[in-house]
Amino acid sequence: MNTTMRKRYSSVMFILALAATLLAACSGGNGGNGGNGTTTDPANTPNDTGSTTPAVTTPATPEKPAPSKISIITEYSTGWPPKPDWAVWKWLQEETNITVEQQTFASPESLALAVASGEMPDIMHVYPGEVAKFGPQGAFLDLSQHMDKMPNVKAFLDSNPEFLTRVTQPDGKIYNLINSGGGAGNQLVWFYREDIFQKHDLKPPTTWDELYTVSKKLKELYPDSYPFVFRHGIGTLNTFGPSFGIYPEYFRDPSTGKFRYGANDPSFKTMVTQLNKLYSDGLFPPDWLSMDYKSWTQFMTTNKSFISVQYVGQIEIINNQLTEGKLKFMAPPLGAGDKAYLPKATEDFGFAVSSNTKNLDAVLRFLDYMYSPKGKEVQSWGREGETYTIENGKKKFLPIFKEANDLRREVGIGTHGAYGLLDFDAWIALVKEDEKEPYIESQKYSYPLAPSLPNLTKEESATIVTQTDQLFKHYSTSVSKFIMGETPLAEWDAFVSSLNQYGLPQILETYQTADDRVKK
Amino acid sequence: MNTSIFRKIRRDRAFLVLLAPALIFYILFRYVPMFGIIVSFKDYNLFSGIWKSEWVGLRYYKMFFDNPDAFNIIRNTFLLGLYKIIFGFPAPIILALLLNELKMKRYKRFVQTVSYMPHFLSPVVVAGILVMILSPSTGFVNQIIQDMGFEPINFLQKADWFRTIYVSSEVWQEIGWGSILYLAALTSIDPQLYEAARMDGANRWRQMWHVSIPGIMPAIVILFILQIGKIMELGFDKVFLLSNAATYETADIISTYVYRMGITSANFSYATAIDLFMGIIGLIFVYSANVISRKLGDTSLW
Repeated sequence: MNTTMRKRYSSVMFILALAATLLAACSGGNGGNGGNGTTTDPANTPNDTGSTTPAVTTPATPEKPAPSKISIITEYSTGWPPKPDWAVWKWLQEETNITVEQQTFASPESLALAVASGEMPDIMHVYPGEVAKFGPQGAFLDLSQHMDKMPNVKAFLDSNPEFLTRVTQPDGKIYNLINSGGGAGNQLVWFYREDIFQKHDLKPPTTWDELYTVSKKLKELYPDSYPFVFRHGIGTLNTFGPSFGIYPEYFRDPSTGKFRYGANDPSFKTMVTQLNKLYSDGLFPPDWLSMDYKSWTQFMTTNKSFISVQYVGQIEIINNQLTEGKLKFMAPPLGAGDKAYLPKATEDFGFAVSSNTKNLDAVLRFLDYMYSPKGKEVQSWGREGETYTIENGKKKFLPIFKEANDLRREVGIGTHGAYGLLDFDAWIALVKEDEKEPYIESQKYSYPLAPSLPNLTKEESATIVTQTDQLFKHYSTSVSKFIMGETPLAEWDAFVSSLNQYGLPQILETYQTADDRVKK
Repeated sequence: MNTSIFRKIRRDRAFLVLLAPALIFYILFRYVPMFGIIVSFKDYNLFSGIWKSEWVGLRYYKMFFDNPDAFNIIRNTFLLGLYKIIFGFPAPIILALLLNELKMKRYKRFVQTVSYMPHFLSPVVVAGILVMILSPSTGFVNQIIQDMGFEPINFLQKADWFRTIYVSSEVWQEIGWGSILYLAALTSIDPQLYEAARMDGANRWRQMWHVSIPGIMPAIVILFILQIGKIMELGFDKVFLLSNAATYETADIISTYVYRMGITSANFSYATAIDLFMGIIGLIFVYSANVISRKLGDTSLW
């Protein structure tokens, strides 16, 4: 009778995963779809949904495809929880005769467990990190073998060599297709409370020193406020970094083209010093490391905070909740160097296909449609009369859609998995006239490069996987302690040299090798 | 009397049926998965399967010990487990002894119920409560501290506080539940012993010291040995939910590390290697505790 009957989740889940793999290995003897990339001929793949149409042997008849059903797994967003009756899936069904069953990731390990059990949905909406983890293991289908069935995808990749580079693995395989067009919505921007600043005759800060003095002023005026608020904990440094001319972690230096680590740059120290100053004077909330979206919203809507960084769409969302006052876009304050930047917004997520999918034909049709001009139009705008009308030759959304976010919430437009190519004009069409400024202004401050990493070979990623975790842990612990003043800044040099002990040179060298290989 | 095995089975069939569910559970979920430890010696590929994966020997064990954080993680796990035993083990015994001295039946039952209620709270809920009440900007603990004229303490973002918070919340959660067993042991003590002690002029304190405690000693020893075995085995969920970048120094334990490296990074071989290593350490602990207790007294697990 012991008190702790609870078992560690990790071990239980691992055991379950193992058991599932064993079962899968036993029962799937004649699946013949191992990790060797030898896929069965799609034309002969029996159709699960029991369609009555005789198997189409020539896939070159796109007019009347057999009805099929595929499953897709995507993130779960609390802002726009997926609904089975989202119109995006209906349109897709009308266009391609494919019914989509959408599942969502319950937690960070969901994908790992799905892969480990072999019970993968047909399509998985994944990030490059996950592709690097599971692709070489054989979880995902090599799409480069199937380009002949996806002429639109091929055309898209051929006309966008940058995308082709990002999805091509060192051995030439393609495990994922990155989405495109929604990137500007992922832009992180600075903004401030225009009315409060005007009331006290304050100017929005243009440098980090001014950010400090203005915040100090505001704290005097509103003693129980935290003038500056941000909610991604240590990850927010990725947004602050470019105003000091760097990204905090691995990135390609725009001037030299070489891979670097931001945290050992002198500008990074300047940034930490500034944040430490703000923290010591109580100018941002002491629980910044555990701030979530809800408490961030509370700070913003109850006049507790006046300056923030967040996704560009949040300005409008918060403005709609404010009873009085207005948030306004703010140029990033300069911290170091000669120009203050914002991080370059990118989309790096996209589709990957399960290597043991039983609906290969339908899956390829799904992907091809998503990257076709027709698919782009329908998945971005919807249907005339249903979501938009045409006025003076221009599409206009129906008045039931009040803000851009309604498109996601009500019909699923622009949500993960529901588009391959997005027409961003559709999105911006719903942004109110006076809320468009941040979208346009932010483009002027975009950092020349996104912090994207080159694809590694299986051996390369195996050599650095533990170091990457150690280094990240060391980085985030040390930096948060410097910011909170628990480690004096005098010990900064010791921190910088300790990075090498955690394998930094090896990681950088690995990325550099991979990057040079791509450039060749 | 040479009863054949079949006759024995026939005779005890009712008991065997009763035993079956537990037996099946252990075979299915404790023994069959043990086969999985083989992946810790292989470069396990999910799609090639266990047999076809390449044999790499002790590579993953070496990898763990080459990790500069390994010592820190083992130390954190060990210290957290040790503190949990130091503070968490005697607490239910004391509570049980105190409850045993209570004369008011109703009050006793009330205290018992209230004290074991937290055991049924999910760690997620407990972590949520802790984050709320300990928040430096909105939590009431810090409001009291401020009202008394002190500076607020940023409890959850100070590495020094992590163990205190974790261990005390564990004690709070488990004290009542843990005392049930000792209370049961206390009721089985022969009342004549107390009478005899009273005749000899022992006060209540003496009675507790010389009758109650020796009476429940076997239970204490057995539970202690079992606890020792679990010293490295801490609830993953609460630690995971209460830790953040600022407290990794004390809050990163084996199970959170295994979760990060093994489950989310899909490095199953590495995670298995670490877990097997921990299992061996746990076994050593139980075995030594058992040996010691057998030497000192006559109570032991085997």
